[in-house]
Amino acid sequence: MKRNTLVITAVLFILAAFAWSGWANWEFRTQAAERLRASAPQGELVVDAAGTAQYNSPLLGKPAPPFTLEDLSGKKHSLSDYKGRALAINFWATWCAPCKIETPWLIDLRSRYAPQGFEVLAISADDIDRKDPRKFSDEKQEIARFVQKMQMPYPVLIDGDSVADSYGDLDALPTTFFLDRNGVVVAAQMGLTTKDALEKNIRKALGMIK
Amino acid sequence: MNVSKIIIAIAAALALTYALAQGQRPLFDDAPRTPSKAAVVFLHPEQITIPAGKPTTIALHFRIAPGLHINSHTPNQEELIPTTFKLPPGSGVHLDGVVYPPGTDFTLSLDPSTKLNVYTGEFVLQARFMATPGDHLVEATLRYQACDNTACMPPKTITAAIDIVGK
Repeated sequence: MKRNTLVITAVLFILAAFAWSGWANWEFRTQAAERLRASAPQGELVVDAAGTAQYNSPLLGKPAPPFTLEDLSGKKHSLSDYKGRALAINFWATWCAPCKIETPWLIDLRSRYAPQGFEVLAISADDIDRKDPRKFSDEKQEIARFVQKMQMPYPVLIDGDSVADSYGDLDALPTTFFLDRNGVVVAAQMGLTTKDALEKNIRKALGMIK
Repeated sequence: MNVSKIIIAIAAALALTYALAQGQRPLFDDAPRTPSKAAVVFLHPEQITIPAGKPTTIALHFRIAPGLHINSHTPNQEELIPTTFKLPPGSGVHLDGVVYPPGTDFTLSLDPSTKLNVYTGEFVLQARFMATPGDHLVEATLRYQACDNTACMPPKTITAAIDIVGK
């Protein structure tokens, strides 16, 4: 009888151990998944009081993620190089028809607000293959043709995919982040809005409006 | 303790272990997922039988997600990425040609002067296949670039798996 009790106790102990390990493992992975979700900056579109669709990016109110990217001539540009200036970081691509509509608006607004310390950094999301020099050259030429055609006067940086993750998995273009003079994201737009909406956000970045 | 009690105890332990194992699936299987990013899906046919060695035209049906459009095979602007259908080399089936449907004109509301040529909803390609005798599971590809009224998604390539039997 004693032996039977011992066996039953052992079985129950093993069952309890199984149950506890399963529960502990599930708890651990739940917390890990929560941490992962929380660390992934993903935003959503919301409509502001004026009826304009605004990109409710998790980066709003936070310092813009730093980056260093090359322009078409190979010169490196870091976000920190533009400290003290209000910025529009515009993610775009040559294949993006709404970007073609937005670009002339950005050019015009940049020339209007540059004297106040405003600059546009255009980051191309076009595919870049650095492993194949010939392809890389062709891809750069394609972007350069577009830049020339659109007469974009501001820095155009390439390989935007390498920084897109830190700006929130940019699956829709154009997407623009507006930074104040301290490098803090004060507004964001996803998709084509209006020239007025762009201007409003530029003025916000310059501290002209709240 | 009789043998039947031991068997019952072991069975109970195994059942509990199995139940706990069900909780070990990757957590993201249960987590809310973002909607599929495939704007286009291949509908049919999944299997066709064609005369071996003889070019045969087959209608391939695709569907675009509501609210989205993709560039036609002949978009109006050179920078835009055309929709293209291809077969992988060495699949035992040769793509002799594709007749793409004409696109429809599309204008973005914020710029009526920009006219795009796009596909929306369901569209059908007429692909001309020539197969060697035998059963060929072909993973054809469709490359497209999708947009909605205000934004565009990166170009994407989807696979259309078709079982082509050459007889």
